[in-house]
Order: sequence, then structure tokens, then C-alpha cells
Amino acid sequence: MSVILKTENLEKTFRLTAKQQKLQNTKAKTLKAVDNLSFEAYKGEIFGLLGPNGAGKTTTLRILATLIKADGGDAIIDGSSVKTDPAAVRSKIGFLTSELKLEDFFTPNYLFDFFAKLHNIPPDVSAKRKEELFAKFGVDKFAEVKVSNLSTGMKQKSSLVISIVHDPNIIIFDEPTNGLDVLTAKVVTDFLMELKEQGKTIIVSTHIFSLVEKLCDRAGVIINGKMTACDTLENLTKEKSLEDLFFDLYAETVGEAV
Amino acid sequence: MSGIATVMKKEFARFFGDKRMVLSTLLSAVLIYVVYSFMGTAMQDMFAPDVDHTPIVYAVNLEAPIEQRLQSAGLSVRQIGENEVDSVKERISQRDVDVVAVFPIGFVELATAFNPQTVGGLPPNVEVFFNSTDPNSSNTFMRVVGLLDEYEAYLSNRFSKFDINRIDADMPVSPDLATEADISATIISSLMPMLLMMFLFTGCMALAPESIAGEKERGTLATLLVTPLGRSELAAGKILSLAVLSFLSGLVTTVATILALPNLMGGGADGAIVDVGIYSTTDYIWLGVVILSTILLSVAVISIISAFAKSVKEANMAISPLMVIVMVVGVTGMFGGIAENPMLYLIPFYSSVQSMSGILALDYYTTNVAISSISNIVYACIGGIALTKMFNSEKVMFSK
Ligand SMILES: Nc1ncnc2c1ncn2[C@@H]1O[C@H](COP(=O)(O)OP(=O)(O)OP(=O)(O)O)[C@@H](O)[C@H]1O
Ligand SMILES: [Mg+2]
Repeated sequence: MSVILKTENLEKTFRLTAKQQKLQNTKAKTLKAVDNLSFEAYKGEIFGLLGPNGAGKTTTLRILATLIKADGGDAIIDGSSVKTDPAAVRSKIGFLTSELKLEDFFTPNYLFDFFAKLHNIPPDVSAKRKEELFAKFGVDKFAEVKVSNLSTGMKQKSSLVISIVHDPNIIIFDEPTNGLDVLTAKVVTDFLMELKEQGKTIIVSTHIFSLVEKLCDRAGVIINGKMTACDTLENLTKEKSLEDLFFDLYAETVGEAV
Repeated sequence: MSGIATVMKKEFARFFGDKRMVLSTLLSAVLIYVVYSFMGTAMQDMFAPDVDHTPIVYAVNLEAPIEQRLQSAGLSVRQIGENEVDSVKERISQRDVDVVAVFPIGFVELATAFNPQTVGGLPPNVEVFFNSTDPNSSNTFMRVVGLLDEYEAYLSNRFSKFDINRIDADMPVSPDLATEADISATIISSLMPMLLMMFLFTGCMALAPESIAGEKERGTLATLLVTPLGRSELAAGKILSLAVLSFLSGLVTTVATILALPNLMGGGADGAIVDVGIYSTTDYIWLGVVILSTILLSVAVISIISAFAKSVKEANMAISPLMVIVMVVGVTGMFGGIAENPMLYLIPFYSSVQSMSGILALDYYTTNVAISSISNIVYACIGGIALTKMFNSEKVMFSK
């Protein structure tokens, strides 16, 4: 098994505004959202980042997707560094999070073509891929409906399809099933399994234990920006359930029992 | 590079695909036409003299040659003594009398003998008093001044000018009668730069905040940032497409204004006052270059402010002070002469107003207009680089 994604001592510190200090009830001027984080993902696996709210999962994934820059450390994705060659990284990954929105005014059909062009996909290739993906996710039924008129699930499906318009080998997915009903969630998880079978590497973040158990080959537990455990799911759940492991790790890290 | 074209195409599809955006642009043009025409008609009604009013000129020391000219122009003349002037002036204020003209004793002889080349001192002086709030009085005044001008021309420019008080001591009546092109140019050049500036800037303001702050606010800009599209391509694509769209919307409103201008100026149906045919192709090309470069600059500036803002609302709030400044600068084009110092043509927006005023007044240095256009484009490029930096900055793009 070869390493396709590797993060080394990632660090990210946010400066807090007075308003943020108040909201988070802290006097500290800065917040270390990602603290010396290292992990590896192997080619063809689904890797899960598991952690409570505010653990730093989204921040980590945004660094991997080159939307924000790490203060320290680096991540190498399929041979390209997020620090020195972010443009190459962008063409190798598909990144999906609920914060990345599609323009309300356009239809999924138009947007698919638009993003295909931004990824420099030849028109015939993208047309074929559009047909396949739209049929698979049922996007073809609302391909000509403006995004503003789509339901949450329809939007999520459109976003998913468009995020992989360029057939990336590495897919980074923040909270893949958030806000979806069980049916749509199943469509998404099934698809992730299918991508894995095609040999793609998938990084997902979530705070849902069952999702990790169902989907992931390996997982890392993030608490307060630190990686507290990182192993195959088999090893992680050898002695106790994932949930119990998490509570123990949390007590260890934060220093108090929940 | 192809990313720029893709972004531009999307921006055009966004604008032209939206019936509301296109319609509101066209509607504002129609509105401008209707409002200006209405204002023009209303003003004409307000300031038009009574049709059955016989204009009467009270005059002191009036001599036969002048009296004949006045009478043959259909003006009644009433001679008065110098001691009556004050009471007549009072009646002018009361709107009972139209005008009083005070000639120096022996005016005809003085005027005929006056030669600025050989004789020192001032030319003979005629004082004409009128009441600007009384349309009859204003109208008669204009006619008297016109006749004096004609008389002056008849004396074949032997003296340089009459000082006619009460108009404006600094603005002597020029010895050569203005040509029609001059009058057209004066009216257009005093009004149009301000209007053009307003249309260009509001055109940019209607589009850029929505396209940049709006996309940032709604999270659609971030979606572009995870694609291989270069940040500089995104910045250039946004600025160029917004500039083209602003130009088109500015063009539509400007055409509406030009069509409405004859009505506004009271030229009525004959439209003789505004004659856009007085400009040469070169004039129009320079005007186009100035306008386009000004739009690029405006779009760049508004885009940068929009990129800093967290929402469209915040962007609009931040831009409105700039809008006021640009309007005030636009008004400066209405007064005073046109700046000649080339250094002044490096000042953004001011240089655009001065260039447009100059071109429209048919009184400009090509170098200055070129300096203004090039500096605008250079500033816009610097703005484009700044916008690229901002698209790269997580602080700007993801600040909460
Ligand atoms: N731009 C920012 N400025 C300041 N603080 C930030 C910023 N972005 C994130 N944070 C803080 O960093 C910490 C980690 O946030 P992050 O979004 O990575 O958590 P998460 O693990 O994704 O949580 P969740 O499960 O709630 O999505 C949080 O305390 C958050 O408030
Ligand atoms: Mg998150």
C-alpha cells in the first residue's frame, strides 16, 4: 500500500477578534485550531477524521484543499505540496463541503460544463461524464432547474457531481451526510464505496461514529486540533467500541471525564 | 489564460440570462429620458416670456444708430434721464419694467474711435440692468446684449470688448459671435462629463458588489477557488466582464441622455442646441478611450472594496462615500477652465472629468488625455494585482 496523502506537523492558529473571544468565552487572543497534526492516507482507502465540534476537522481539510494556508508543517498530496504547489493540488483533488455553494442563478447542467472548462476537460469527455454522473445521481431529472429552486438533497447531489467533474484520484469530503435524509445519505455513502472500488482515495471528516464504522478503513481521532489516535478501524475497535475509545481519549486530552 | 474567457462568459450569462437585470438597465434609461424631457418642458414653461408682451427698453444717453437697431428688432425704446435710473431699477425689481441700458455720453463716437492697438485704456462701457427672475426681463436683456454684440461686430472688431455689467464682470461678451458648434460644445461639455461620470460609476456600482461581495457572501467564490483556475485569471475575468457590462449599461443611459438633452435644454423638437455632429472621429475615439479606461479603473476600485466587504450591503455602504467624491469631482467639470498641467492628469477620476470636459469642449491636449487614459489603465492593472492578492488571502476571503 502506498501513501498518497501525507500531512506533517500541520499547524494552524487563528487570531480571534473581540467578538469571537466573547462568543467562545475565552480571553485568549489566538486559537490553535490544528496542533501538530500528522497522518497518512493510503491509496485506495477511505480515511476518516473523527472529532467533536470545533476539533479542527474542517480547518484541516481546508488546508488540504489549499483554501487556507497552514502556519507550520506541510501536506503532500499525490506528490504535490499544498505549500509550494497549490495549483497542482487543486487539479488532483475533489473537495466537497457544505460551505462551497453553487450559484443560485444557474442550472446543474450549466455549472457542470462551467467547472469542466475550469478544469480544462475536453468537451466530449465532460459531456460523457456528465451523462453518466447525472444519471447515477438522478441529477438528470432536475438538470435544467435553477439551483435556487432545488431542495437541500438535490443541491448536495449537484455539488457532489460537480466536485468530481475532473475525475480526481483523491476526494476530500467534509461531513458528507450532513443535512441529508437517510435515502440521500445512502446514495452518497454507496457512491463513496464505489469510488473506493475504483481505486480512489477518500478523506472524510465527521462526528458520527457509525459513519466511520460503516465506511472507513482507517481513522484518526482529532480532539482540540491534536491527533489522539490514528490506526485501522480494526485496531481502534479491538478492545472497546469506537465511542468508548473516544470518551477515554477525550478525558485524557482535555483532562476531565465527560 | 482560457480561465479568463470562461469566467467572463459566465458573468455575461449571469447578466443577460437575468431578465430582471437587463430590464432594470433599460428601464433606468427610459426613466432618464422621461425625467429629463419632463424637466426641460417644465423649465421652459416656467422661464418662457409672455407671448403678447411688448418688450420695452429704458435707455440713458441713447443715440440714433443704436435706437434704430433696437427698434428694427421690435423693441420699444423709452429715453430717460440719468436721474431716473434708480427709480427704473426699482421698477425692474418689481417686474414692471424689463431692462434699462445706461450708455456713456457720446457712446457711438467713442466706440467707433476705439482701437485697442493704438488707444490705451478701457473700451466704452454699457451697463444693462435686468431681473433674472422675470422671464420677460431676461428675454429682453438677451436681445439687447445680442444687438450690442451685432453692433460691435459691425464696427469690425476695432475694439476688443464691451464690459456689460450685471452679466458677469469676468465674462466679457466676446467680440466674435460664438458659432453654433461653440454653443453646442459649451452646453454638452459643461453637463455631460458629470452625467457620464455618474452613469459610469453607478453602472459599475450596480454590478461589481453583487458579483464579488455577493459571491463571497454566498460561498460561490470559494467553490471557484478550489479549482485550478488561477486567482489572477479570476480577478482579470471579473474586472474585464464587469467593465464590459458597465460600459453597455453606461452606453444605454448615455444615449437616453443625449436623446433627452434637446428637450432638457429647451431646444424642443428642432433640437438645434445639441448637435453631436460637431465632433470629429478623433474626438470620439479619445472620448471612448477615456470612458473605457475610467470604467476599468472604477470597476477595479469597486471590486477591491467589494472583496473586502463581508456582504453586498457592506460593500454598497463602503462604496457610497466614494460615489459622493466622484460626483463632486464630476461637478468640478462644470465650472472653470480645463486643467492644462499634465501632472493633474495623473489624479484618478479628476483626470477623467477634465479629459471628457476638454474633448467635449473641443479644447484639449492629446498628451493630457493620453496621460489620463494610460494612468487609468495602469491604476486598474495595479487594482487587478491587488484583487488577485485578495483572492489569495484567506483573511479576506474567509473572514467571519
Ligand atoms: N477563520 C477563523 N477564525 C477564527 N477561528 C476559527 C476560524 N475558523 C475556524 N476557527 C476555529 O477553529 C476551531 C476549529 O474549527 P473547525 O471548523 O475546524 O472545527 P470542526 O472540527 O470542523 O467542527 P464541526 O464539527 O463543528 O464542523 C473552532 O474553535 C473554530 O471556532
Ligand atoms: Mg466542520
